[in-house]
Amino acid sequence: MIRTCLARSASASRGARLLGFPLLMMLLATVSLPQAAHADEEDDIQRQIDAQKAGVPDLELLDRSHAAASEIQRLRDWLGQAWDLRNKHEPDEAREVLERCMAEAELIRQIITASQLKAQVADREAKLDRTKSETEKKKKALQEAQIKKRSLESAVGS
Amino acid sequence: MRTQGTKTVTKTMTKTKTKTLGSSQHRFVRWLAAPPALALWLGACATPPKPTALVAYEDLKKDPTIEDTRKRFPDLVGASDQQGDRAVKEWQSNNLEDSTKAALLAEIKLRTALARNAQEQAKSRLSQLQGDQAKADEMLASVDKDLIAATEQVKLMEKNVAAEADKKRLTEQMASEQKRGEEERQKLSMQLATEEKRAAAQLALRTADTVEAGKYAPGEYNTASSMLAKADEEIKQGNLAAAQASLEVAKSRADRATEISKPSYEQAAQATQNKARDEALARDAAALPGVSVRIERRGELQRLVIAVQDLFVRNQTTLGPGKEAALDPVARLISKYPSYPVQVVGHTDNRGKTGELIALSQARAQSVFSSLVSKGVAATRLMVSGQGPNEPIADNRSPPGRAKNSRIEIIFLYH
Repeated sequence: MIRTCLARSASASRGARLLGFPLLMMLLATVSLPQAAHADEEDDIQRQIDAQKAGVPDLELLDRSHAAASEIQRLRDWLGQAWDLRNKHEPDEAREVLERCMAEAELIRQIITASQLKAQVADREAKLDRTKSETEKKKKALQEAQIKKRSLESAVGS
Repeated sequence: MRTQGTKTVTKTMTKTKTKTLGSSQHRFVRWLAAPPALALWLGACATPPKPTALVAYEDLKKDPTIEDTRKRFPDLVGASDQQGDRAVKEWQSNNLEDSTKAALLAEIKLRTALARNAQEQAKSRLSQLQGDQAKADEMLASVDKDLIAATEQVKLMEKNVAAEADKKRLTEQMASEQKRGEEERQKLSMQLATEEKRAAAQLALRTADTVEAGKYAPGEYNTASSMLAKADEEIKQGNLAAAQASLEVAKSRADRATEISKPSYEQAAQATQNKARDEALARDAAALPGVSVRIERRGELQRLVIAVQDLFVRNQTTLGPGKEAALDPVARLISKYPSYPVQVVGHTDNRGKTGELIALSQARAQSVFSSLVSKGVAATRLMVSGQGPNEPIADNRSPPGRAKNSRIEIIFLYH
């Protein structure tokens, strides 16, 4: 395509040759700039994929109760998919998957947080149950002590 | 996804075709089955099956907390709705891949919203639980405090009850020990009294032995001895009361035996003593120089007769010259044996009148009496008499006979 343009330029008038060089430069710039931008975008995608991949072990560490195990696995798959698309130089597709990965990571964080909070709730409920149970036991013991006290009072009185 | 949907339709058609070819022998039937298969294929091309992600998203929307989540997180749920709508449109446009992508995003956002809603619910529950826990802790502390107080009271009361029981037990124990002590004291006292009575009985028996009660009162003595032996047996058997009674009888009988035996024993002892003294007297008398000694019995009385001759000149009543000293040994003998009554008896031969001779003999006996008294003999012990010629000890016809008959006799009298 560039060659075709150059051929057409060569067949133009000599007067126009003087103006042709700047045009040629502009054309080159016009053609090469998107390629550079494209390369930059792939690098950016790669960085983001790497950053996401690096975050996965942290998420796994956070997910002690394995509440988000399947989501994490899905995230790994999608990150692999994004990496494959980036390697196939399909940046748009890769970014689309990457965005989904970021949303998935956020979902995982929220699931983990919710799981931790639920665990806290379960702990507190268990603690509350224990406290109530202990209170009931002590109430029973108190009743028995009071009965014994009355019995002893009558024994001492007699 | 779109490709996957197409493949599914193709498979369905292929299966239908295969079944149709499988029944090639029934051509009529195959022609009848062809139109429905074609209709199915056309229908599938018109509305492809929903992508799995879209189905999952739509199932997720049935979550009962969805409305609550929508109220709390309208932005997230709204974004999810948008993606969900887009997924449906893409699906209806037969663009399954884009539909799947949109459905996945919708599901992720909705699940994120649900997770955040769950967090809020959990936080709310935690807050509520915190309040409940505080109340429960307060209640537990209150009950615990009451329980501690009641338990301490019970412990104190149990201690008191135990102390009372101990006190009662100790009192009973002390009473029992006192009783036992009293019994021990009584027993000891009884033993002591028994020992004392036994000692008294033994002493009484020994006392009886000293007076030879076995010889002089055998009945009482033997009874006392047997009662003492019986008492010893009763002491061995622990029957102290009976032993005391036996010992009292033994003592009484022993005392009685002593009482009975004492005069006889003393008499016998005195006789023995007297006999020894009499023998000593006889020995001492026999040892006197110039005298003759004989022992004779008159009735119940024994008489130790010391005959002293040649103290007087014929018909004289005073002691001859130098004869006074002859009475010294006699005076010492009388003084040595002071318990004997002594007779001083004068005798003469038969030459003269009897009356005169008796007077002479009396006078001579009186002279000897005076001499003896002068030598320290107690006058009260001496009895003086004169027998004259009435008791000759030799023949008066010869001079030696008459010399023998003319004499003074110092007579010790005893039983």
